[in-house]
Amino acid sequence: METIVYTCPYVPAEWIAAHGLRASRLLLDQVDSAAMFIRTEGVCPFVRSFISEAMRNKDAGGVVVTTMCDQMRRAFDILERKCELPAFLMNVPNTWQSSESQKLYIDELKRLGRFLVRLGGKSPSNDALAKIMLEYDATRATILTAREYLSARKYAEAIAAFGRDGPDQTINHVTDTELQTDGVPLAVVGGPLMKQDFTLFDTIEQSGGRIVLDATETGERGICGPFDRRRIHDDPLLELADAYFGGIQDASRRPNSELYKWLQRELASREVQGIVFHRYLWCDMWHAELRRLKDWTNLPVLDIDTAGDNETGEYRTANRIRAFLEMLQ
Amino acid sequence: MPKQITLEEWDLRYAKLQKAGTHQPDYGGPLSRHVEDGDQRLLKLRYDNSAAALRLWNFLLTEEDRLHDARKAGRKIVGTMKDLGTVPVMAYCFENIVAFYPDGAWWIPCVMELGAGLLEIADSFGIDESFCPVRAMLGAFVTGAHFPIPDMLICSVGATCDDFSAIAQRLNGLGHPIFWWEIPHRRNPEPDEPAVNLPGGFSAPKCQVEFVKSQLERVKTTLEELAGEKLDEQKLVAGIQKANEVRRLLAELRHLAFTAEWCPLPALEMLIAEMLAIHFCSDRQETINVLKELLDEVTSRVRDGKGILDADAARIFWVNPVADLQVMNLLEDCGGRICGTEYLFTHALDEIPEDLPPLEALAQMALADPMAGSSIDRARRICSDISLFGAEAVLISRIPGASHCALEGRIISEIVQEKLEIPVLEIEVPPVTDSMRPTLCTRLQALVETVKARSHKQQRKRRR
Repeated sequence: METIVYTCPYVPAEWIAAHGLRASRLLLDQVDSAAMFIRTEGVCPFVRSFISEAMRNKDAGGVVVTTMCDQMRRAFDILERKCELPAFLMNVPNTWQSSESQKLYIDELKRLGRFLVRLGGKSPSNDALAKIMLEYDATRATILTAREYLSARKYAEAIAAFGRDGPDQTINHVTDTELQTDGVPLAVVGGPLMKQDFTLFDTIEQSGGRIVLDATETGERGICGPFDRRRIHDDPLLELADAYFGGIQDASRRPNSELYKWLQRELASREVQGIVFHRYLWCDMWHAELRRLKDWTNLPVLDIDTAGDNETGEYRTANRIRAFLEMLQ
Repeated sequence: MPKQITLEEWDLRYAKLQKAGTHQPDYGGPLSRHVEDGDQRLLKLRYDNSAAALRLWNFLLTEEDRLHDARKAGRKIVGTMKDLGTVPVMAYCFENIVAFYPDGAWWIPCVMELGAGLLEIADSFGIDESFCPVRAMLGAFVTGAHFPIPDMLICSVGATCDDFSAIAQRLNGLGHPIFWWEIPHRRNPEPDEPAVNLPGGFSAPKCQVEFVKSQLERVKTTLEELAGEKLDEQKLVAGIQKANEVRRLLAELRHLAFTAEWCPLPALEMLIAEMLAIHFCSDRQETINVLKELLDEVTSRVRDGKGILDADAARIFWVNPVADLQVMNLLEDCGGRICGTEYLFTHALDEIPEDLPPLEALAQMALADPMAGSSIDRARRICSDISLFGAEAVLISRIPGASHCALEGRIISEIVQEKLEIPVLEIEVPPVTDSMRPTLCTRLQALVETVKARSHKQQRKRRR
């Protein structure tokens, strides 16, 4: 079975799986800028790593890129010229309030479907799509429940494993019960994390904190809303689009007011006492939100910026987190 | 005799022109008066010495006054952000709307040599130097000192740069309501998918044109509400015809300026003339008048075989606008001349189809934006324009911090070299380049020398 790789949360794994292909959301490795084949100045480390992974990947059958940010959109240009994997660029509208934007998203899913068929996939029936959606929905619900008994890192890893492997193999990641540690309840907010960034959870725990809300793109914030079972049977594609396009809030949306509504609700319900804001150098979308978030919330906010490629940065981050938590304890 | 002169020399020439009874419009006057407003960079630029260029500069530097006058007269001011030339065409169809381009504030740090403190204000709102200099716009909104705060802001998002989108959202978060409309990434039509050939040579699926048309319908409705006036098809057609008048004048001007043996107009004045197409510098009819006078001047110079540079100046195609206007002078100092440009708004220079329903024609224009599509498409358009104007090298001017500049330069450079085998150089231009002038100069000289050496080699080959 061909594997289709992607990173964007607005790409529904169910849609790829329903075409008989394996959907795998990449958890990227950081790439040393010196080892990169492209000029790295001004390039977001996440995009840099994505390009590098797509170029090196010999196992996948195709890669899906989205227009969620400009640098990713331009990364597609590089892949189109240099990468052997068949690549697909999906338009994900930034605006969301008009019915035309929602329709554009659905049309793009249909176009993605045609790309998947060209790669050997089969166009799914409504029943087949509905069945897969229910399967994914059930596993997602299991993972969300596991937050109560998993450490923040294990929880993040379970979400990542679900994205990477799909529902079949994810369940192993959520069965190991662990005692929830004490500590100052914190949220981590930002774009996607890379593999090495998961040490952030350990560092926070070792410093006396505890992540109770993973509002990164690779965390809970990047998980689509639950499906409406009745609507799944009426029109599964429409329900899929609603849950993803309507259910995932991001800084790139215009306006992005819903992101703040989501944060307000989640921060309050989990009694968060501080926010760790994680962003990559050259990521304009999240960088621009930092000061706004600070103005908007009464909670203390710690800015963790990373170039993603050196150890000094890790030590600096650890020190900043320790200082932040000393102040909160 | 055409030549480039300093601001001081312009004052002396202005006195002579006045004595000779040269007509000046009501916004006319000596250029040096703008320095009193804080436009210190003007002291360091060199200008074309024609009355037409004087009018062009005065028109550009008095836009703020025009906007204030429009407000006093009860006209509504609409800030049209990011689309670079589409929504203004529609906005100027209304009697009581003036559209302007707040993004243009990105030149304030240059023109005022950082004296306005706009970048520091942007810093204080969390938009630091890792963003494109367009962040000066945020500072300009905060101070309210550089243009009247618009009655409405309309901003395109989607296939745009992240810097501007993020800054506009920050502005929105500071209490400035924005009407957002979506421009999708222009993609190639799939096999068997109905396609449309866009002005400028790109193509797009018909469904994308229809989508953009639906977005422009929304823009139209909101403008109608603001103006309290319906925009019927006849008015929109008339507006498109007027915009095309501007575009035709610019096309002729560009053709003459880029292909004449002796460069008839400096790069700096050509850049400003091209910029008028974006939003007509807040007065559409006067834009036409200014361009007509400029075209007359250039036509007569070409006819008389006169120019402002040596005939052997290296013919350079320039990609992206510069944050520091002085760099346009610098290229000429180093022995180059501009023969073709792609300042991110070629779609505002191409004629709008007049044989289509007007909103569909505007949708096609919006989709033809070079930034809405891939860098590969953009590079191909650049290649085609290079062939048209006969440029011998390409200079890609990176905008510091701009999201598109991080990856596009390499693609454009590779494609140009593959297709045309001409030298390509990339430079980065911040708002004030004084401290890096020697470095920039060295790089530009190297490009010019390479072009001239290649040209001599080719001449020798031809002789053999």
